[in-house]
Amino acid sequence: MNKLHLYSRGDRLFVIVNMVLIGLFTLSTLYPFIYITSLSFSSGFEARAGNVILTPVGFTIEAYKRVLSEPMFWISYKNTFIYTIFGTITSLIFIIPGAYALSKPQLYGRRFWNLMVAFTMWFNAGLIPFFLNMRDLGLLDSYFGIIIGFAVNGFNIILLRNFFEAIPKSFEEAARMDGANEFQVLWKVFVPLSKPAIATVALFCIVSRWNGFFWAMVLLQDTEKVPLQVYLRQTIADLTDNEEFASSLMTSAYSFETVSAAIIVCSIIPILLIYPFMMKYFTKGILMGGVKE
Amino acid sequence: MTHVPEIQGNRTEELVIEAREAQRERAPSRVARVGDHLKREWQLYVMLIPTVIWLLVFLYKPMYGLQIAFKDYSIFRGISGSPWIGLEHFQTLFNNDQFLRALKNTVIMSAYGLLFGFPVPILLAVMFNEILSPWYRKTAQTIVYLPHFISSVIIAGIVITAFSPSAGIVNTFLGWFGVDPIYFLTKPEWFRPIFIGTGIWQEAGFQSIVYLAAIAGISPTLYESAVVDGASRWQMIWKITIPSILPTIIIMLIIRIGNILEISFEMIILLYQPATYATGDVVNTFIYRQGIQGGQYDLAAAAGLFNAVMAFVLVISANTLSKRFSRTSLW
Amino acid sequence: MSGVRLDGIVKAYGAVQVVHGIELDVQEGEFVVLVGPSGCGKSTTLRMIAGLEEISGGTLTIDGRKMNRVAPKDRDVAMVFQNYALYPHLNVAENIAFGLRIRKEKKELIKSSVDEVGGILGLTDYLERRPADLSGGQRQRVAMGRAIVRRPKVFLFDEPLSNLDAKLRTQMRAEIKRLHNRLGATSIYVTHDQVEAMTLADRIVVMHDGRIEQVGTPMELFLNPVNTFVAGFLGSPPMNMQRATVVAGEGGPIAEFKGQSLPLPALEALRPGQEIVIGIRPEYAELRTAPEPGTMQVDVDLVETLGSEALIHCMLGDDPFVIRAETIGQPLKVGSRVSFAVRPDLLRLFDARSGRALPGQRAGEALSFGAEAAAQ
Repeated sequence: MNKLHLYSRGDRLFVIVNMVLIGLFTLSTLYPFIYITSLSFSSGFEARAGNVILTPVGFTIEAYKRVLSEPMFWISYKNTFIYTIFGTITSLIFIIPGAYALSKPQLYGRRFWNLMVAFTMWFNAGLIPFFLNMRDLGLLDSYFGIIIGFAVNGFNIILLRNFFEAIPKSFEEAARMDGANEFQVLWKVFVPLSKPAIATVALFCIVSRWNGFFWAMVLLQDTEKVPLQVYLRQTIADLTDNEEFASSLMTSAYSFETVSAAIIVCSIIPILLIYPFMMKYFTKGILMGGVKE
Repeated sequence: MTHVPEIQGNRTEELVIEAREAQRERAPSRVARVGDHLKREWQLYVMLIPTVIWLLVFLYKPMYGLQIAFKDYSIFRGISGSPWIGLEHFQTLFNNDQFLRALKNTVIMSAYGLLFGFPVPILLAVMFNEILSPWYRKTAQTIVYLPHFISSVIIAGIVITAFSPSAGIVNTFLGWFGVDPIYFLTKPEWFRPIFIGTGIWQEAGFQSIVYLAAIAGISPTLYESAVVDGASRWQMIWKITIPSILPTIIIMLIIRIGNILEISFEMIILLYQPATYATGDVVNTFIYRQGIQGGQYDLAAAAGLFNAVMAFVLVISANTLSKRFSRTSLW
Repeated sequence: MSGVRLDGIVKAYGAVQVVHGIELDVQEGEFVVLVGPSGCGKSTTLRMIAGLEEISGGTLTIDGRKMNRVAPKDRDVAMVFQNYALYPHLNVAENIAFGLRIRKEKKELIKSSVDEVGGILGLTDYLERRPADLSGGQRQRVAMGRAIVRRPKVFLFDEPLSNLDAKLRTQMRAEIKRLHNRLGATSIYVTHDQVEAMTLADRIVVMHDGRIEQVGTPMELFLNPVNTFVAGFLGSPPMNMQRATVVAGEGGPIAEFKGQSLPLPALEALRPGQEIVIGIRPEYAELRTAPEPGTMQVDVDLVETLGSEALIHCMLGDDPFVIRAETIGQPLKVGSRVSFAVRPDLLRLFDARSGRALPGQRAGEALSFGAEAAAQ
């Protein structure tokens, strides 16, 4: 507010109104999360009666006990971790060397290879051919299928390629004169110099893996292999669509609303934990990728 | 130094010719050059190959599989073994009320999404820029970016809970004003507002990053000279901020128009139910139901191809128009 | 001998040729500076020697071995880059050791080499620091350390001082020279700064438009430039050039221009009516208090005082003319007319059409340090 006293009266009013409006928008973003959290800690009876507005009413952790005692919750949580960790590592193994090669002007057919990547950002064959392809490759219902099938993404390659291209050429040349081969140049020079960009790409992968739902639902039949999001979806769907099942959950301690809220809270927590890192890298990363082809 | 005369006019040409001849003599053949290049740079190709193979196997091979849109596909005969039937699937589609409805819904929802959703991030970015306290600004940004990172399943879960007729907060509010509980998610007339509103709530904050970056690129001296000239904050927004980020706005608009048919159907799958198909079913959810759930792969692939080609045409034309009228373009 | 030999070196990008057949022989231990305006091909030539650019034609020999298709790492050359190319994620010691590590040298050897180089360059106290925490001059030293540590046969420098401010540049220039005296390694140095070239080089190679204009010791080039380009490029402020017509006079040939005349040395190549360019270095114009026969008159336009001397910017008709003079005596008034004389043997005469120096001029021998010292 250091400059406010330099402002005219009209400008001061403008600044204050603006602050209030931003504050309202921010609160409206935050409120649903507060509401869900409060709901998850409220008693089933109060939740059903619609008494939860801002803070928990009839505080209880029964809903969490119910959620955490469900073996499927833990299995799907474990699966999500597997998909996220191995999926992200696989992505980086493909993307880092690929982006490096594409950033080199001496690469024969560089324009062609780059177009091959960029084209996938604007045109894709669609759900059905992709699904049939996965089926023909025998990748239905397998951990490996989910991990490999979504490893590469044109946007991430181009983001990293643009970053590599911006690294001064002399870094590479100096390493080359020192006797480094391509792999050493990449590993000992480019990767350390590109930590922010690689972190951004890794975070993109982590978030999309953690949140991935549709293809996991389509490709995985075996309930032992489904990730958290599919389990969550299944539970919420069961609770809303199946009155009988829902009413079986009705006790005074928890209701299907508080149970759903508890699962939602449990699955948001890991994202909240890495959110500070994302804030650090994402904003930069988004811009590095830019909208350049 | 008054005048530096041309030096060695004729000798230059002689030398160039000489050098060219020397080069021709010593230049290795094309094959030898490629061989030389590969010998030196083979490692680059080793790095590129996994990505290229992946793209071929997972993204380009399905494009080959798109031919089933023109075939009577059967699982047993396979993609290449199935007989061609020309445009029959497309004829079927355009006689199919469900498909036409889905097409209409896609266009309507995208148009609404564009109309209401596109200006919000720009507005937010401009408003963030007018906040003087760095602390306030940073906190607000951190919060409004958050929903982008939350999965659509959770967002849908929150929406379902909030709009639930029994305990949902929305109906609780309405109850205070004496309105009877409404089961919003079963009402076709409410589906689009809820879907579009959710989209804006989830993405507007994050989408403002691009515009904020564009604003950050504006030279502060522009504002300073405007202050000296006595401009108000309001005038500065219209005379400096908006014109400066116009190229970014146009680029984002092109991208949005290009993606107009790529509506986020994941959220729709999570929110809709047979009761709201009338307003909520879009092409991709239609494809999902017909193809993956119903097993009519060829018909669904035809619908997908139609969607993808239309989308591609949209991007190209939006880009061409932009190039012509504003000299801003994606490529 | 670990000299470097360039034999008809050509660089072409597709049909466009940028280096047109360079012939150069660098002796073992020699310090050769390639100098020229930007885009003259000097950096490209250096990079071809380093192996960073492909050689399109001709032969490169280092230490008697043909190197055209040898990878940079196997040429046994080291290079100091303009932006230093220090790895920000490594500290000074690790930066210096990078090349040795890549070559999988023994740990003890790396340690002792890094310590030794750190000692030579005065970096011992900074070995643990990251490049971001160093001053410009220190970074420059680390960059040199990285080159020295490998004990290459040939050092290549690509404008290594151009990122430094003027004062540091002078200091580092002297340090590079001292280092060369100490290590005695063959060095090829590229710069666009003629002062660097003059001070550092055993021999200077002046390049222009992808060709060598002249090769020689700094004083040879300063005193006997072979054409107007070299004459104008070396020396600061640059040589004044005046177009003139030769006429026959009583005591010998005379140059006439803008209503003035100047006696010329009697060269066989001079013919009456010939168009020539007279080159006069600002340092060699001696101010006179009054017009005398054989002097030139110019109008003072601006005086820039540098301290012990001043640059007097004058107008000779419509053309600028700069005189460098000592600042003793009366201050000059702007707008006043001054006279100056030049020793005929210090004039440089060029053919106006070709720009080449007229044959038979002997100024280089007329003035040497020895002669000047004896005169004092």
